[in-house]
Amino acid sequence: MTRRAVTSSEQTSSEQTSSEQTRRGHPGRSLARRIRVVAGSAMCAVMVTSVAGCGVGDSLVGIHAAPQAKADTAPLTVDQAKKILTRSFTAAYLGESTTGQAAKTALQTAYTTEGLRGVNGRSKLAKAQPAAAQSLLQAPHPKLLAVSRGFGFPRFILAQTVASGGGLPVLHLLTSPDAATPYRIATSVEMVPPAHVNPFNPLGQGSPLVTKNTGLAVDPAKLMSLYAAQMAFPAKPAGRSPFVADPFSSQIRTGAAGVAKAVAVQATFTQTHKVIPSSVYAVGQADGGGLVFGVIERTDHFAVKKGQSVKTVGNKAFVLLSGKKSVARSASITTLEFVVFSVPASAGKATLVAAREQLVAGSGS
Amino acid sequence: MVLGSWIVVKLGPSGQAQFSATSKAPGAMVITSDVLNTVDVPVRVTATRRDGAAVRLAVAPTPDARAMLATSAVSTVNAVHYPAGTMDLRASGAGTLSDLSTADVWRLAAKGAGSTELVVDQGRGPETVVVTSGDAKPLTDVTVTLAWANRTWFFEALVAATIGAVLAAFALIDLWQSRVIALRTDEAATGTTTSEATV
Repeated sequence: MTRRAVTSSEQTSSEQTSSEQTRRGHPGRSLARRIRVVAGSAMCAVMVTSVAGCGVGDSLVGIHAAPQAKADTAPLTVDQAKKILTRSFTAAYLGESTTGQAAKTALQTAYTTEGLRGVNGRSKLAKAQPAAAQSLLQAPHPKLLAVSRGFGFPRFILAQTVASGGGLPVLHLLTSPDAATPYRIATSVEMVPPAHVNPFNPLGQGSPLVTKNTGLAVDPAKLMSLYAAQMAFPAKPAGRSPFVADPFSSQIRTGAAGVAKAVAVQATFTQTHKVIPSSVYAVGQADGGGLVFGVIERTDHFAVKKGQSVKTVGNKAFVLLSGKKSVARSASITTLEFVVFSVPASAGKATLVAAREQLVAGSGS
Repeated sequence: MVLGSWIVVKLGPSGQAQFSATSKAPGAMVITSDVLNTVDVPVRVTATRRDGAAVRLAVAPTPDARAMLATSAVSTVNAVHYPAGTMDLRASGAGTLSDLSTADVWRLAAKGAGSTELVVDQGRGPETVVVTSGDAKPLTDVTVTLAWANRTWFFEALVAATIGAVLAAFALIDLWQSRVIALRTDEAATGTTTSEATV
């Protein structure tokens, strides 16, 4: 009995051990459950930590790193550029077709620097040369040719218009010197037939401003300087020119010689041409060449000979600009010469593609 | 599951995330490209003035906006926090504001009385939104809200919540089965011992 009891007791003890194992689980199954619990807890911890932090929270709503500024893009969209053109041309047209303070304000809104000097001169001469007939802005739909590339200043917009009634195409250069100053017309120049303008880079990429040593056949500033120098009267010896001969400068030289001859008895005539450095802009083109804009200030000087008195009534423009109907000592007339050159890349000569002159001032004594 | 469900509720069916901040400091308010261009979807910017006066929103390339406000007093939004829906504001500068509205650097602009809104599309970044009164007067007490939406985010959160729910269900079932097995084993063990003792 005791033995049996002992046996029963042993058996019971053995089954109890088995029962304990079952309660805790089979060693293999228990380990698997523990792994599941640990993995699940870890996953939850990672999720909660990530969301509470910033990574997952941001990525849940699409947040990523901000893009970097690209140097080879235009700072303006095509729509922006077109709106600026419309605004400027509308103000310019209002300024030229009205009078008084409103006209002055409109012109200041539309034009800048030499462009403003030129249009002010044209306005003063409106009685002698009707403004409407002289306006370069009678084209309803300007064609946008190029905009600046990158975020530096100055910036530009280049456009072309063709008058609805026909006539020569006109190139317009609008410039902005800094972020706070709006674009205004710096130059409007009629093209010289049969010149054409080579294509520019796509508007979305913008076109670079070409400065010194950037691959053009001739440096833009040097080109303008040499072009101005070869128009001087009396003529000065000039070296090999980097530009092709053109009718604009030929007419000016011929005109100066004619004036000198006409006034020879009463006065000595001289003519100087000086580049306005801040007016020189060179816009890079798709073929590697450039379109160079510049303004040259021409001064016609008359030194009246002793004992002479010159009646100027016949020159309506001079009278309007200077208020003088006769001069006894000297007289001078200032004219702005707006010119545009097409300059090839690396080799070759520059070609004049657009030119215009505008009387802006006169004085006499 | 809880997290996924919360985000599903937070985003809503439109998948919209919204952030706002109020600037009390006088001057302009600026939202930099570090916030504006960090998503691939259009950002709706709303500015509201408590005094109901004019408010203007305009967006420009970041270098231009920076140049325009270089010396002016500005409050800059330079970070957002999700899901809190808050934005970090940093005040800088002390100069007076000039009239920025005449400049040509602004790609988009909107003006209103008391409140105005502008939707800034992506692809031309980095850009910066500038909030002003529309002239040289400094802004005070203006609240700016940014919102952007993508329905995909809602469905992603929904999927996450569903997966979470399934995992939770499995976990509960596993736990329940463990308990049942343990109880049954206990019962069986108790029954055997009693039987043996009787014999």
